[in-house]
Amino acid sequence: MRGPLILLVYSFRRVRTLVLVMGALLAVFQVFLIIVARSLQNSNAFAQIGSLIPPFVREVMGPSVVSFLSFDGLVCVGYFHLAVMGSLVALSMTLSTTLTSEIETGFMDLILARPLARHWIITRSIVVTTACAMGLLVMMMIGTWAGLKTLAPRDVAWPAPGLILSLASNLGLLMLCWSGVAMAIGSVSRRRSVAGSLAGLLALALFLLDYVARAWPPAESVAWLSPFRYYSPFELLTGSSLPIRNLIILLSTAIAGFVMSYIFFSRRDISQ
Amino acid sequence: MNSNDRTEPAISARGLTKRYGKLTAVNNLHLEVKQGEILGFLGLNGAGKTTTIRLLLDLLRPTSGQAFILGHDCQADGLRARSLVGYLPGEMGIYSHLTGREVLDFLAGLNQQTVDREYQRELQDRLELPEVDLRRKLREYSTGMKRKLGLIQAFQADPPLLILDEPTEGLDPLMQDSFYDLVVGVQQRGRTIFMSSHVLSEVEHVCNRVALLRKGELVLLSSVEEIRRLAPRRVRVFFSEEVKLEQDLPPGHETVEINPHMWSLRVEGPLGPLFKRLSGFPVSDIEFEERRLEDVLIPYYREGAS
Repeated sequence: MRGPLILLVYSFRRVRTLVLVMGALLAVFQVFLIIVARSLQNSNAFAQIGSLIPPFVREVMGPSVVSFLSFDGLVCVGYFHLAVMGSLVALSMTLSTTLTSEIETGFMDLILARPLARHWIITRSIVVTTACAMGLLVMMMIGTWAGLKTLAPRDVAWPAPGLILSLASNLGLLMLCWSGVAMAIGSVSRRRSVAGSLAGLLALALFLLDYVARAWPPAESVAWLSPFRYYSPFELLTGSSLPIRNLIILLSTAIAGFVMSYIFFSRRDISQ
Repeated sequence: MNSNDRTEPAISARGLTKRYGKLTAVNNLHLEVKQGEILGFLGLNGAGKTTTIRLLLDLLRPTSGQAFILGHDCQADGLRARSLVGYLPGEMGIYSHLTGREVLDFLAGLNQQTVDREYQRELQDRLELPEVDLRRKLREYSTGMKRKLGLIQAFQADPPLLILDEPTEGLDPLMQDSFYDLVVGVQQRGRTIFMSSHVLSEVEHVCNRVALLRKGELVLLSSVEEIRRLAPRRVRVFFSEEVKLEQDLPPGHETVEINPHMWSLRVEGPLGPLFKRLSGFPVSDIEFEERRLEDVLIPYYREGAS
């Protein structure tokens, strides 16, 4: 077990700066949202913005569209803002395709020329990706908590801790799902750029599919293919309980990706 | 099997074949490397040397055939096999943000064998890579320094088998000499060295046997001594007076340069016919150049290139 542990420590050391910087940025973003929400709250602007939304938009989008037009709703936006989701999914893919970059640079030759079984490479990648995703979400939640503690107006309701935890866990499983997909692609690719681009394009296509399907019924029949379908923050904001089915689907996809990674990587040639 | 079993070959390839679609990189390779020998693995670029090495290390999976390291199947028992190997790749794919010391410690940690710090220091001394250099980031390393680091990481666990892919690439002549001394030293302690190389003089200098690959096939496997015996002699005959070559030379004799005071010849086989031919000539001196491996090997390379 000494070898795998040393590889794990090395892998964490390699990504620590990237993850810490990204975590800090996301935490700052949470604080920034709280500042914006406080400002809107103090100027009573939430009601005004709500009144500007045309009725047909409310009809199409349902009550969820106004769910974030409140102090606590806007604070929660940090867990489903496109930029946040996009950067977290991209980071997951980057971490998951590290093994492809190690093959490309020849580093994998040095590792696997030692008595280290190939499955440890995938296990290491899963542990690093999962731990980093959790670490980032914890940093975001710390940002939210610290922002609320220091900046929230006194008379305003905070988002429930359970809601934040639900959003974070759903987002975390979405990241893990894309990690699995990217790792499976990376474990058969020779170039990280190819693996990353393929996974990224797939994510973009499936995000658009989910987006289109929300407004265009014909796309609904295939929208179940998109992992983004199983991250429903608006429903959580409107008080729905954490959809366990969605979590199971995301987790199952992640596990399927990881299992495929084990199989592909154990059979492939390690060549640059 | 016990890795100390001296009867077991250090490397055994049995019908090892690797194909990429229509391209055959290694074809039906049968090769045995005895324990305690230094085998030079030769061939032109693309001949299949590195592919063979990667098959031995289970980085590539063979299309057919098997390979064994000290009796352990490189695939089925790959972990045990690789625990007995020190490997120097052709190019060190190491991240430049690490220091040399971090690389050595990291790679030592992945080995099941413990690294003797004394021996590691001895390697550093021999290859002139002091601790102060090891504390520097790899991005500050020259090509030669990276090669030295690669050699130290391969040798540091003192494994029974060393697989070295073009080990002297990027080393200066003094370091090359240090490397030769190192290799001979580890061989004297019973270690086996399997090294690919393009440098025939180095193979001649340190190797006991030579295996030559051409287009993925083993075309020559012989001891260096045997190959030397096959090599034509270079002979220069000096005359005290002007002479003229009026008759043909005996069979197996080829002129390289002829002038009235000196003949330069390549002689295959015994020298008796030449001495017989020279009787009656005013010979002042005869010089024999040492037989060179390249005189035998270069034609093999040429056939492969054509």
